[in-house]
Amino acid sequence: MRRLGLIAAITTLLAPAAIAAPGPWDQPAAALAAQIADILGPGQAQLSVRNLSSIPNESIPAIRRILEQDLKQRGVTVSGAENANMVRVTLSANARNRLWVAEIAEGNETQVAMVSLAADEPQPAPAAGELLLRSEPVVSEPEPVLAALEGANNLVVLEPDTIVIYAHAAQGWQEQTRMSLEGRAPMARDPRGILEPPADGAGFEAWLPGAHCAGSWPQTGVSAKWIVACNPSDDPWPAAPAPIIQSPAQPPTQAGSASAAANAPAILKAFYNAARDYFTGVISPGVGVDLPAFYAAILLPRAAGSGALLLDTIDGKVELAENEKLEAVAGARDWGSDLALLRSGCGAGTQVIVTGSGEAASDSLRAYELPALEAAPVSPPLAMNGTVTALWSAPDFKSVYAAARTPENQYEVVRVSALCN
Amino acid sequence: MFRRCAISVFLALVGICAWGRTRPHYGGTLRVEIAGDGITSSDATVLHLLLDGLTRFGADGALQPALATNWTADDGSHRWEFSLRRGVQFHNGDPLTADRVVASLNLACNGDCPWTQVHAVGSSVVFVGDSPMPNLPWLLAEKQFLISLAGTADGTAPACCIGTGPYQLAAHSSPQLVELSANEGYWGGRAFADKIEVATGKSIRDQWLDLSLGRADVVEVPAEDLRQAQQQRLTVVVSPAAELLALKIAGTGALANPMLRASIAQAVDRSALSNVIFQKQGEITASLLPQELTGYAFLFPADRDLDKAHELRGGLACPPLTLGYEGDGAMQLAAQRIALNLREAGFDVQAVALKAPQHPDLALRLLPLHGSDPAAAMEILLHAEGEQATVADASPAALYRAEHDFLARSTLLPLLDLPRAYALGPRVRDFVLLADGTPDLASASLEDAP
Repeated sequence: MRRLGLIAAITTLLAPAAIAAPGPWDQPAAALAAQIADILGPGQAQLSVRNLSSIPNESIPAIRRILEQDLKQRGVTVSGAENANMVRVTLSANARNRLWVAEIAEGNETQVAMVSLAADEPQPAPAAGELLLRSEPVVSEPEPVLAALEGANNLVVLEPDTIVIYAHAAQGWQEQTRMSLEGRAPMARDPRGILEPPADGAGFEAWLPGAHCAGSWPQTGVSAKWIVACNPSDDPWPAAPAPIIQSPAQPPTQAGSASAAANAPAILKAFYNAARDYFTGVISPGVGVDLPAFYAAILLPRAAGSGALLLDTIDGKVELAENEKLEAVAGARDWGSDLALLRSGCGAGTQVIVTGSGEAASDSLRAYELPALEAAPVSPPLAMNGTVTALWSAPDFKSVYAAARTPENQYEVVRVSALCN
Repeated sequence: MFRRCAISVFLALVGICAWGRTRPHYGGTLRVEIAGDGITSSDATVLHLLLDGLTRFGADGALQPALATNWTADDGSHRWEFSLRRGVQFHNGDPLTADRVVASLNLACNGDCPWTQVHAVGSSVVFVGDSPMPNLPWLLAEKQFLISLAGTADGTAPACCIGTGPYQLAAHSSPQLVELSANEGYWGGRAFADKIEVATGKSIRDQWLDLSLGRADVVEVPAEDLRQAQQQRLTVVVSPAAELLALKIAGTGALANPMLRASIAQAVDRSALSNVIFQKQGEITASLLPQELTGYAFLFPADRDLDKAHELRGGLACPPLTLGYEGDGAMQLAAQRIALNLREAGFDVQAVALKAPQHPDLALRLLPLHGSDPAAAMEILLHAEGEQATVADASPAALYRAEHDFLARSTLLPLLDLPRAYALGPRVRDFVLLADGTPDLASASLEDAP
């Protein structure tokens, strides 16, 4: 009894708020009703409502009710009287907005009233699975994003012709400065680039086809400006960074082996074909076997401190260079041409995040583990809002970043991390 | 045993081909076949590979920078300044300069320009108009205003189409087989295919035959043949509405009386055109712009009303009329069908193939539907018809009023929104159509490129 009383009290308290809360259709309905009333003046009207938009048909009776109420408030009573003027409302839409149109017939003359309202954004359904990938938006740009480097206070975004630096603000990342890279040779049509923090962690290094740029953080406390210096360069790119592996004391087998590469510098450099969109297959240090040209590579940590180089080659195959052998990886048919390493701490601890191989309007990311020469999916696909154009690991490998070209031709950067189940 | 072995080999090959890949390959020769010449024909497939405009439309119809990197309007859109992209060269090595852009633009419209004056200011191009030009950046994306080299430094006139585009004409190119090679220094990034061969003047039948025999990679699919292409299981890429089929009605001469023009507008049976001739592949419309673009196209009634046509005509006398059409096939059939409709309303109409200098009483036209901005799209469409209809207020209500007032003159009768479509061979990847239905061949790549 006491419980019922409590529920009744809560209901009583909430009811006025629920009634008062404006619905999504209140404002456009009121605006359209005002225009109709201006044309008709006080009197009676027959009202019909039809739906040519993506508004669910279940919502139409409610929209009609709101319109009737708003018209009544303005002196137009909706009735079925034969002598009433006809008002036909069409809930329409164009490429940008919803458009509500009223055709008001008075005798032989028909007048038109219109109201525009913003279209809803579809909400993606959450994915389900063992290890879950989740994405958070970082920044959206009209130009292609080749790479981004997120720090505590700054975000550096690499575009084909520009380096954009954002600063933290209450509303999120706010553009702080923009440096043009104009004057370089034209990029390939499928432009690529890499951003890495320098050894001292202050600033960034950018590799672009035929160029290398270094940027340094501003001095704190003074009105400092970013210093960015770009130079022509054919030097190899840090194509396959890897997390520092705590290896047991173990002498390097030979200079240039994957084991050695995974241990000491933890960065493997690869020569990039500046006129195309891939790495030539020449890397430094070498891994004891000739490599094919490839789109992407990562150093996979292996047991006992060793490493294996995973390649996404330009003929669409996925191959693993390990122990001076190059072998095909099974289970990678669905892989696209971008991959990145994620240290999630889930499952085996480290996963490979790969893009989908389809040419669908919307791409996806999925986590895989490679205990041997077979890739096993360990997460459901994470749908992306568009085609993934670049994928890279965060410097700490605890997340990966993806740039996707949306159907609206924007380039969205998202941070992708994993939730362990 | 052999059969099992063959199946295994087939599956193995399929398996190899099924390896994932999303990044496009560079290299190879893309073979395209078209019915027109690719330069003066409405598709302008070749022209778009050779030349760039100051602006361009993206695949979504949005306006993008091209040879101009930014633009600003002053004085109520009476003056526009376009800043040129730096470091761009024509195919012959001449640098892109504001003077050269001005020379090209002056040649393009030959005095009948949407602006009053265009001149170079440093590395910028400045347009000045007596009337406001709110949609000028969109107009400049049209093929009429693509930039070509109007004259070389030594005064000799260059061959056709020396531009800044992603491809350049190869030395041994001919009008029947236009051979294009990739512009290595293209400002927008080197195109993926090394070469594109465009076989021109090919009938649709021959194009499809070559596609089936593996002799062509990209062929045309006219709207009226879309259903057949789907039945033949061709891989077809279809654009949104890219062209408006419309009947131009002369406002002078035999049809100077607006009641006669209104009668003609009521007599045309769009459903028959759509169902019979265009095989339901066109969208019936009585509006200049598609419903998807404006949201209000349904306000213009598209149904035939023969009684009203008779009523509007009344006892008005009308001499025999000519209805001109361009091309053959569907356009000819459509013109003949409209002539039949009009005869039922009491008009004596003869459908005739249109030759350039003719000015028939009625003309069946295909007009461009370009861009995602409704006000600009309307101006582009009307500009193509030689009409000046600047819509400064781009709100849906203002646009509707402008369109309503224009169509009330009954000098242009919208009939069908038509898509453009292409069928692809198995080698082609990353093929997209721009919003105007033009194939973006520079972004296409080949599966088997080396």
